[in-house]
Amino acid sequence: MEVLSLLNTSIGGASGKHRGNTRFHYASRQQLNLNVGETMTATTPLAGATPRRPTKPAKTGSWLSQDKRGGKALFEHDVRTGWMFLTPFVLGMLIFVILPIFTALWVSFTDWSGITPPLQATNVGFDNYRTLLVDDGLRRADFALSMKNNFYYVIFVVPIQTALAFFLAFVVHQKLLKGRDYFRLAFFFPSITSSIAVSLIFKFMFQTDGLINKVVPGPKVNWFGNSNGAIHNLLGIFGLNKAPGFLGNHSVMGLTFWDWLSGPSVAMCAIMGCVIWTTSGTLMLLFLGGLQNIPESLDEAATLDGASAFGRMRHVTLPMLRPQVFLVLVLGLIGTWQVFDQIYAMSFGGPDKSTITPAFWIYYQSFRNGQAGLGAALAVILCLIITLFTYIQRRIVSDRSVES
Amino acid sequence: MTTSPNVALRRRLIAVSVVATFAISAAVPSIASAQSKKAKPVNLKGQKLSIYGWVSSPEEDAALTTILNRWNKKTGAKAKFLPQKEYDTAIQAALASGAGPDVFYVDSAKMPDLLKAGALAPAPTGAISNPNDIYPSLRDVFTSPEGKLICPPKDFSTLALTYDADFLKAKGVNPPTNWDELKVAAEKLTTDGRTGLVMGFEYPRVGVFMFQGGGAMTDAKIKKMTVNSPQNKAAFTVLSDMYKNKHLQAPDEISAGWAGEALGKQKAAMIIEGNWVVSYLKKDFPSLNAGYAELPAGPAGKGTFAFTVCYGVNKNSKNQAAAWKLVDALTNAEGALAWTNEFNVMPARASVADKWLAKRPNLKPFVSGAQYARKFQFVPGFGDVQGEFNKGLKDVFSGKVSFDDYATKVDKAGNSVLGG
Repeated sequence: MEVLSLLNTSIGGASGKHRGNTRFHYASRQQLNLNVGETMTATTPLAGATPRRPTKPAKTGSWLSQDKRGGKALFEHDVRTGWMFLTPFVLGMLIFVILPIFTALWVSFTDWSGITPPLQATNVGFDNYRTLLVDDGLRRADFALSMKNNFYYVIFVVPIQTALAFFLAFVVHQKLLKGRDYFRLAFFFPSITSSIAVSLIFKFMFQTDGLINKVVPGPKVNWFGNSNGAIHNLLGIFGLNKAPGFLGNHSVMGLTFWDWLSGPSVAMCAIMGCVIWTTSGTLMLLFLGGLQNIPESLDEAATLDGASAFGRMRHVTLPMLRPQVFLVLVLGLIGTWQVFDQIYAMSFGGPDKSTITPAFWIYYQSFRNGQAGLGAALAVILCLIITLFTYIQRRIVSDRSVES
Repeated sequence: MTTSPNVALRRRLIAVSVVATFAISAAVPSIASAQSKKAKPVNLKGQKLSIYGWVSSPEEDAALTTILNRWNKKTGAKAKFLPQKEYDTAIQAALASGAGPDVFYVDSAKMPDLLKAGALAPAPTGAISNPNDIYPSLRDVFTSPEGKLICPPKDFSTLALTYDADFLKAKGVNPPTNWDELKVAAEKLTTDGRTGLVMGFEYPRVGVFMFQGGGAMTDAKIKKMTVNSPQNKAAFTVLSDMYKNKHLQAPDEISAGWAGEALGKQKAAMIIEGNWVVSYLKKDFPSLNAGYAELPAGPAGKGTFAFTVCYGVNKNSKNQAAAWKLVDALTNAEGALAWTNEFNVMPARASVADKWLAKRPNLKPFVSGAQYARKFQFVPGFGDVQGEFNKGLKDVFSGKVSFDDYATKVDKAGNSVLGG
């Protein structure tokens, strides 16, 4: 070891003269590490017991400060090597992520049809945004409708799937449960199945002659043919079939208040059921990881202190799971605002546009209706909406963590 | 047993000469045929042509490939059919890249978008043989606003009344020929767990009643919405009367995927569908004795839709001359008959209608529709207006919303897109 060190030192010294030569550079770093190792062994009380591990101390970061002796060029060189290794990824990122984002932004200011090469499109300024947000017409009303549909979708799906995922994780985490592995796999299985395949199976199940109508007693529901809102249906039971004056006469963005209060359509409810069933397995996995990270001793200590099962859940498990809860909520929120596959496969926006969502409408306008510019403007707006909601949620969750 | 080297050599020689004879005899005819080919345009030889279309039945894909192979053999070109899943997206991406296939399917509804984007090369004069033979109603679909024929139709379908002939006979009902008879027939036939008339509640079906009544969705130039008209109101009233009494229903209301299925499963007595229903019924419900009749006429006469597709030539294709040769071969009288004779899609040329009908005389009502069929075509970006039209249909038919309110709303929505 001593010989090696000496050798390294001499080479290291040489490297000072031949800056920029990689081989020497590495040797010198190794030598520096050795130096650090030696200083460490000198100062640590357990010196005799620990074998010298020359590469490890780099973790402390001190070799960099020691390096000042060796010269700044060494560090710069490392930066260059680092960028060299990063280049393929950065290029990929630029071409496949950054560039498309800016292209979409640019397209949203054009009247691009989606058919010609995009560079031939004419610039129309803010026309697309005006059509979607300001001008009283079909496009604005449809955008509002898609927002309404998706809004109900989010406020039903996110809480339910989060609660279900937590419940599943909690059940599967129980040590006393027999066949735990089986249940884990069973709950997780929907997530690894293709979402289109799952959607099609649900579509069959929800047909008028399908499984759901056969199993559930009561009148047959024409799930994918029914565009009535669930809240409207509920009010209908109490005899409220038409909008009471003030709700029907006032409108926001082309939809009356009565329309806004429709609730998710019957068809949308079927889609929500499918999505909740599919995603809760994935989210269960996140919760399960969190649960397994909670030390058992905490639970035991709480039990000794006389905490009930509910108390342990409320004051030990849930606070410890805060990062997972945040993650699951954010993922759920982003995922639900982007819902597309299930809608495409199960209802294609129908019946009567009652399951159109902004993400689906982007596709429809861009690829089915020849309005790629409008679709891109929708995409930009959707992006802003998701950012806004995630930000709000972040604020709420972080506020809570300050409280406790 | 050993063979002397001499014998072995002789044997090898014989083998070689036999092979050589075969090779020559095989080569001679091919040389001869190559010489006869010289009479044909040389530019086709070895020309690669790609054709994009959507995935239809395996039989259809195979039939087109067979026809192309025959043409390839005859001309020496290399044309290939490449069916695309998710066609709208695929063709759009291919065209937006500035390249794309040489020839591609153009649906009549998508035609205005492609025309406006300048993606289609108009047919050069003389490229399409005898264009006047193509039904005027179909020629009109693929003619630019300037009056130039852009691409020749591949085939077409129309809507007609399809019914369970045995059931109608048993109930003593003749296929209705006008609106009054239709109402009576639908009422009489709503029995034994069947609905008299079943059709999808959407513009491509409801629209025919508007035509029969003398109305339409928009004016002729597609500049202004015209849903709110007395003619359309009359058409809607007929449908509404039948719907309120459950003599007319949508397929999903009687748990059928579409009208064809409703008829096959004996849930409907009459349906309004296109000629694609013929092979479906034959295949899935062979025992059904299906009858076909022209759609009942309204106060303004007969009316139906023509759904058609053309072979468009890509403006960016480098082989346009060869592409037009191929398109003409596929759509001239001979080509149209070769293609449509395999299936129940109709040739777009009047001159071969009789030959096509000879094999299937009962489908005459669909062919007759070509005389008065209207096109299923608007302007780019009109798709969501049609969605708006479909959206309120059930509520109008059931009487929950008045026709005037509905029509005003649809017109307003449509005009906001048309800019009128």
